[in-house]
Amino acid sequence: MSLFSQILQYAISGLTGGSIYAVLGICWSVVYLITKVLNFTTGEFVMLGGMLTWGFHGAGLGLLPASLLAVAATIAIAVVMERTAIRSVRQPSEMVYMMLTIALASILKGIILLKWGSETRKIEPMFGNAPIQVLGATLTPQVIVVITFLIIVTAGLSWFLNVTLFGKALRASAVNPTGAKLMGIDISRFRLFCFGLAGGLGALTGIVTAPITFTGYEIGLLNGLKGLVAAIVGGWTIIGTVLAALALGLLEGFCAGFISASLKDVFSLLVMVIFLVLSTYRLGFRRKVP
Amino acid sequence: MRGPIFPEGWLEVIDISRHFGGIMALNRVSFQLEQSSITSLIGPNGAGKTTLINVISGLYPADQGRIRFQGENIAGMAAHSIAARGIGRTFQLEELFGSLTVLENVMVGCHVRSRSGMVSCGLALPSARREETQEREAALANLQLIGLEHKAGDPIASLPLGERKLVGVARALSMKPRLLMLDEPVGGLAAHEISKLVDLICRLRSEGLTIFIVEHNMPFVMSLSEKVLVLDGGALIAEGLPEEIRRNEAVIKAYLGEEVAVA
Amino acid sequence: MKPVAQFPLPFMVFALVVFLLPLVVSGSYVVGVMCFVALYGALALGKGVLLEQAGIFSLAHPTWFGLGAYVTGIAAVKGLPPLMAILLAAGFVALMAFALGAPLLRLKGYYLACATFSLMLIIEIVIANLGSLTGGHDGLMGIPPLSIGGLALEGDRPFYFLSWGLCLGTYWFLNNLMQSRMGRAILSFNDSETASRCLGINVAAYKLRLFIITAILASLAGSLFCFWIRYIMPALFGFPLLVELITMIIIGGGKTLYGPLLGSLVVMWLREGIHTYLGKVLPVMTAEVDALFFGIIIVVILILMPGGLAGWLERLRPAGRGARARTNLS
Repeated sequence: MSLFSQILQYAISGLTGGSIYAVLGICWSVVYLITKVLNFTTGEFVMLGGMLTWGFHGAGLGLLPASLLAVAATIAIAVVMERTAIRSVRQPSEMVYMMLTIALASILKGIILLKWGSETRKIEPMFGNAPIQVLGATLTPQVIVVITFLIIVTAGLSWFLNVTLFGKALRASAVNPTGAKLMGIDISRFRLFCFGLAGGLGALTGIVTAPITFTGYEIGLLNGLKGLVAAIVGGWTIIGTVLAALALGLLEGFCAGFISASLKDVFSLLVMVIFLVLSTYRLGFRRKVP
Repeated sequence: MRGPIFPEGWLEVIDISRHFGGIMALNRVSFQLEQSSITSLIGPNGAGKTTLINVISGLYPADQGRIRFQGENIAGMAAHSIAARGIGRTFQLEELFGSLTVLENVMVGCHVRSRSGMVSCGLALPSARREETQEREAALANLQLIGLEHKAGDPIASLPLGERKLVGVARALSMKPRLLMLDEPVGGLAAHEISKLVDLICRLRSEGLTIFIVEHNMPFVMSLSEKVLVLDGGALIAEGLPEEIRRNEAVIKAYLGEEVAVA
Repeated sequence: MKPVAQFPLPFMVFALVVFLLPLVVSGSYVVGVMCFVALYGALALGKGVLLEQAGIFSLAHPTWFGLGAYVTGIAAVKGLPPLMAILLAAGFVALMAFALGAPLLRLKGYYLACATFSLMLIIEIVIANLGSLTGGHDGLMGIPPLSIGGLALEGDRPFYFLSWGLCLGTYWFLNNLMQSRMGRAILSFNDSETASRCLGINVAAYKLRLFIITAILASLAGSLFCFWIRYIMPALFGFPLLVELITMIIIGGGKTLYGPLLGSLVVMWLREGIHTYLGKVLPVMTAEVDALFFGIIIVVILILMPGGLAGWLERLRPAGRGARARTNLS
């Protein structure tokens, strides 16, 4: 394989990973900006999407019905979590939400582990496995599905937030909750909506990428964390997050390909740490502090 | 008869400027404070008074200018270093420590005068225990000064506003500062509490402390100060004796926005 | 209002009970579990001070524990005398805490939590990948026993006393610290960093020193752990341990110094209970399943009893000490 093809190959796998981080980053941002909750179950939504689909499919449902049911179930779980646990916190602070959602993530992980064991699982690709050759690199149709999915989500969400009335109201309440309430906007419904949205998008991402990256009870942690990195580096905006996530994915792909696959996680995490630390020094750029 | 001990002034603020975003919060402010004096800073809201105190105490750096305290340039130094050199202050919003009792709040003021480090304290070495007793006694003495020693063990939140402000002063005094800056010390105080504070300030001045007060309350300022500075829009527009300032047209215009004759 | 005694009565009573326990209880099962209580309790105490008293949201404690254990283990395997290995580990961890703490502690709140969490994962992965030095994923084996002057200390009993010695010593040290001017300084910068700085407190320096001190204490616990178990794996020092420590702090309540130690007692015995009674029922019983139950506990306590056990105990205490918002009572 020529160097160019290699680069392309790693780029493709990197972009696939980056797409996961991008949608996850969006889930983090949407929830955080509107509800001020740092939701550490975001990564678990991806896991649930994939694992529930696999589970339902194995129980006899067709692939499509299983997927739809999995998405619905994840949305339900997200909404129930917000309603019961997150809303009931008596001393809300960012740290409390963080510990609470980490605990909730542990619960979800543990339940899936008990139900379906610790092996990684695979879902069949939706459009077959026939490899497509592009400039010396190979990709499967599923990769195209993933990238298309990302584009639809990004465009759709941008349109929703900037053009529709509901979306604008959502953004307004993020900036000024009191003002929004005074205008008659029901903040608690927005919170539900955001959690549900994060659940649904996360689950869809899990389903769409499971044929490529497989799924298992513990994929939520690192993926979720990288989504958070993307959100932080991207300044909690949609476009910024997506770009940061894709960049992160690309760099990860190259690291895995040219250096070592087992160290690629270290790489992303280092990016997060270094970026966070550097942003405390006044280097001439101002990171938007939420 | 008091004459200046340091001919160039105890605190010298030279050409201090600071901007926030596009606004000049402080615009080439220059003045001097002499030892054992009471100087007040007045000005309309948003004039930059608290910004000036924050810059002098080191919470933000100035964009340009120098601040000489006892001959040393302190502009740009870290806040804790400036405090260690003898500049104490209170805060408009009190900034008292909610987790500590009244006495403990005042004891934190003593911190800068002791030496025991984390390891000596952790091992409860005799030197650390000795300093602890000293701090406790010094803090209690300062509480007696403001008449609140009977509330030493109470949580801060249980005190009314006037008493909390006095605790803030006692806390700053525990540092044994040479310059004490008071940021809006009488806001929200009742008349008897204000007169208590006036007595305290006069007493401190007679013991040699230099006092710099930022305030809105005119009678308080006029009755107490030996010199008054007026800040408007970040610039010093007047400086002089209280009676002069009262009649100064620029000052009146700054406060009222128009030319009004004073009775 | 005289200064608080260094060896307060409840502390002495507790210490006495602890030291008499192995003589009263037969067999080594209870002693073994209580060793865990002591070691993890020491960790939780330090982390509790950082998190609750100082407001430093560092999630790096499992890392210092793990690094302490690994450096001690590797040095011992390579033939270094045990005491030197322990000191070497403490020195290494202190250096790392200093080098990493200085930039990291500039971060506030959850940014610090995210950064230290990432650090924990990074170091876990790095250790797992340095196979030749650390034994990789499968762990480091064949660690020689702790021997002092030719006398080898093996088995649960000696380590029971060593661990509780460390745990109680940690508590004693931290209690003295929090009752002193340093403790007041720490509580003060947690309440108002601005006012603290203007009172002459070098907040950045104090945060770093506290960070390093608690890291060293964690390293010592790790060294003892290493010599006791004599087989360590990277998985022991990662996310599941973090969840356990957080559970301990939340159960015990963070407002008092001793809360996390109570939490350790509860959590370790709860874990034993879960393993004993549910181990036959559930298909899998790993640290992740433990984390599931701890997660449930955390959720329940955060919602229903935010003050934790110690918070509830403090409310039972007579009001003689005055209504202190945050107490450092022993």
